[in-house]
Amino acid sequence: MNNNKSGCIFICVCFYFLKSYALTNRRLVLLHMSVFSQTFSPCGRFLAAGNNYGEIAVFSLSAALSPDATGMSQKPILTFAAHEGPVFSLISTDTHLLSAGNGEISAWSWAELTKRVSNEIVNQLSDNSLIVGGGDNNIHIMDMETGTFKSVLQGHKDYIHCLSFREREGELLSGGEDGAVRIWDARTGQTVHCIEVFKYEECTRPQFGKWIGCLTTDSDWMLCGGGPALSLWHLRSMSPTSVFSLAGCQREAVFYQDLILTVGEGPYVSHCVPGGTVKAQIPSSSPSLNTLTLNLNSNEHRVMTTAGSSDQIDVFTNFSYRAFSLSF
Amino acid sequence: MSTDPLKKRKTKVIRGDGGTPETKRIRGDADQDVRVYNEEVELEGRDTEQDYILYKSTCEAVAKLMAEIQDLKASGAKEGSMEVEERRRRGSVHFIALKKLNRMAHMRLKKARDQTHEAKQRVDVLHLQLQNLLYEVLHLQKEIGKCLEFRSQHEEIELVSVDEFFQEAPAEISRPHLTKEDPHQLTLARLDWELEQRKRLAEQYKSSLCTKEKILKGIEMKKEYLNSLQPGLQAIMQASLPVQEYLSMPFERVQKQAEVARHLPPPLYVLLVQASAYGQACGKRMCVCVYVYVSDTNLSVSISGDVDEAKALSRPPEDSQDDESDSDAEEEQQNTMPALFIWTLNVSLVHAVKRSPPSCDVDGSILHLFFYYLMNLNILTVKVKVSASADLSGAISAGELLNPESLLNCLYASDHGQETPNPANRYQFDKVGIVSFADYVAELGHPYVWVQSLGGLHFSSDSPQVEGPHSSLSASHMESTMKLLRGRLQARLALHKQFSSLEHSIVPVSNECQHLFPAKVVSRLAHWTMMSYEEFVELSFVQHVMKAGLVRNTDLFFMATVERGTARLQAAVVLNPRYPEITPLFSLSLLWKGERSGRTDDNLRAMESEVNVFRSELQGPRPGLQLLTNQMQRLCVCLDVYLETESQVCDGSEGPREFPREKMCLRTARGPNRLKPFKYNHPQGFFSHR
Repeated sequence: MNNNKSGCIFICVCFYFLKSYALTNRRLVLLHMSVFSQTFSPCGRFLAAGNNYGEIAVFSLSAALSPDATGMSQKPILTFAAHEGPVFSLISTDTHLLSAGNGEISAWSWAELTKRVSNEIVNQLSDNSLIVGGGDNNIHIMDMETGTFKSVLQGHKDYIHCLSFREREGELLSGGEDGAVRIWDARTGQTVHCIEVFKYEECTRPQFGKWIGCLTTDSDWMLCGGGPALSLWHLRSMSPTSVFSLAGCQREAVFYQDLILTVGEGPYVSHCVPGGTVKAQIPSSSPSLNTLTLNLNSNEHRVMTTAGSSDQIDVFTNFSYRAFSLSF
Repeated sequence: MSTDPLKKRKTKVIRGDGGTPETKRIRGDADQDVRVYNEEVELEGRDTEQDYILYKSTCEAVAKLMAEIQDLKASGAKEGSMEVEERRRRGSVHFIALKKLNRMAHMRLKKARDQTHEAKQRVDVLHLQLQNLLYEVLHLQKEIGKCLEFRSQHEEIELVSVDEFFQEAPAEISRPHLTKEDPHQLTLARLDWELEQRKRLAEQYKSSLCTKEKILKGIEMKKEYLNSLQPGLQAIMQASLPVQEYLSMPFERVQKQAEVARHLPPPLYVLLVQASAYGQACGKRMCVCVYVYVSDTNLSVSISGDVDEAKALSRPPEDSQDDESDSDAEEEQQNTMPALFIWTLNVSLVHAVKRSPPSCDVDGSILHLFFYYLMNLNILTVKVKVSASADLSGAISAGELLNPESLLNCLYASDHGQETPNPANRYQFDKVGIVSFADYVAELGHPYVWVQSLGGLHFSSDSPQVEGPHSSLSASHMESTMKLLRGRLQARLALHKQFSSLEHSIVPVSNECQHLFPAKVVSRLAHWTMMSYEEFVELSFVQHVMKAGLVRNTDLFFMATVERGTARLQAAVVLNPRYPEITPLFSLSLLWKGERSGRTDDNLRAMESEVNVFRSELQGPRPGLQLLTNQMQRLCVCLDVYLETESQVCDGSEGPREFPREKMCLRTARGPNRLKPFKYNHPQGFFSHR
């Protein structure tokens, strides 16, 4: 998920009806926790993370990174129940934290969250569009000011895993469970291209399936992976230029300077070079990772955080090693 | 004179003067006019010197004569010549003289001897007399000494002092005119007076003895009378017992209990009081009756009186299905641990599980708790025994469930009962060299903290127990502890039954919980075995649970194997002693086309979460004893879903699926890690994601 300066915000969400359940012994709960989403605050000093129980925790990054940090600074300053189902997506606007789960999107004010207050706010946002990809195989574009849906992009045959926006051309990319990467024109809502990645021999990995788990774009280049191997595509020619031989399925990938950082199955963060080689695999504390974010909002707290199948959120101050872990 | 008779004979001999060689004896001569010649008289007249000279001259003469004869003979004189004859005659005369002289000499000698002898005899006589006298003197001296030393018995008698005597004694005894002068008379009088007084006192003594005897007899009679009352009273009491039972007013029992209870040490007494109070107060769910009884003591300590009395009150416990009785505390004396002097008195607490609504299957089992008080250590310990109404021999894996050693483990969290809670005991142990109390737990019972609380003993870490036991402490803990005990027993018995079913590969699901699972479950439980802590720790797929600190060595460990086709799912189960308060923890490892565990496969992790976390759904109706079996059944259902929704293209092969899709799922994957739908929805019967 990217925070787009033009004001479009993307959230990938799944709708499902869920009964509520009681959370018992906290340690047992932590043992079975998975973190699905993270995002940094606009000032860069706070991190919000969402887990499979529907909770969102807000951590004070500045406290955790300060020289006199204690064990308590690695605990959240605020934890609240946001949704009934897992919080699959979190994204930050200039003023608000948007969370998606269980068929609803909630907005929380960052100002209040940092004061340890959580009051859900809906529809008090500036005029931006929110693009939501859902479990109903469609992409919805919502006007955040009015809260109504403006348009629907249909075409995927299975639920949508990931979204990405190509700023220069104003195009939207989406990847889904059906294995297709669709490129949409944001204004018209028509599919410009449809790439079925699993049909390409270099990338395909039939033993894992055809689903596209992660998608990110750098205007000219696109990274996509999942069931098929993570591959770097040149969008002009619509062909894969390099394929990264990583063992598991990748769930998130980002461009950072001249590196590609990616996480997925396996307890490590992979550093890859656009040429196709895997430069390094940095170990992390969770057996598999779901989400990776970079704190680009702040200069003094420029960290990378990853989280996945555990209650730990690893913080990398130097991207080459794990510094410490925040915990729910 | 001894020579007199001899002399008398000799005087018969007539001798002439000049001595003639011829002698004549005239015998038997009683003539008085025979001339008596007394040579002795003559002897006194002669002079010894002269005799000596005479002797010499005579000898010379004889010698001379002999010489002359010799000469004559030599000169050829004839035998019988006159000169020779003459000389021979002269010689013979000289011989006679010599003989006389010899006689004289002899007589003199004899005389001298006689005289000496006489004198000696006189001296001897005198000597003897002297000796006799000396002896007698000595004897007399001894006697005198004895007499002087003699202590008359009368001196041992304590007499009244003289003044008193004169004052008290009547005149005829004291006789002052005599006694004042004469000490002997005084003493006599005093003795008399003494005798008189003693006689009088003896009389008095006899009479008092008589009266005493009479009084004693009177007492005896009264005692007998009272004793004869006692059996009568007993008979009445015995007769009233049925009446008491009928009216539910067990006075006698209560009284006897109180009697025995008086001898209990304070913590046990507090426990007894609180338990009986609770027993009376608690409602229909648990009927508590308190019994104090004394069972056989197997110790050698003797606190006489108490133990004897206690033994006299011995009676067996009533084994009532609906009742609780009190626990007795037993004390034992340990020969190996001289530091622990345990007093014995039996207080036994029998906890019975009350008959509950018909669905409960722990009807009528009894939990016996035996409380012990260790005097030297000032702590209470407990031993437990379960007598279940149903047969409990079915399940092999359930061996540990009702083990008396561990049955009451962790009734409250982390109350292991291995170490003594009294910090003062540490010093006592150091003195005797005992390292840890855990070694003696088997003999002495478990010193759980709740036991101490029930007895009103409170040990905080900073101050040892200074005052006596607090009954308020006991009261506040009694109800919760009793409930926990009951819950524990129920849970264990239920588990026992469930285990025997699990070992036969049947997962027992009760009717109330059927709605949690689909009608058809293909995966089946193949094995259910028990594991030890060491075996559990060795498993590779449980390390995350160990690291999270959710496992202790007091927990029970089991391995369940669920199979379907070629797939084999191993589940390591950690059962906390406080089940069902604490959910059993499952860790999964799947052997199907390779080995996967919850760490490597997010779907297995989701299955673990599905089984471990959703306790409120799975625990079923109160009190939640179905939890484990429901978890097992859910595990089987999840395995079904997992295998059926697994993509066929896992190993690149096309072809018939091993597990055809039978479960109805709206969607087979969701979320970035594409989890399977493990949640069953009733009554529609489809699977969805949470």
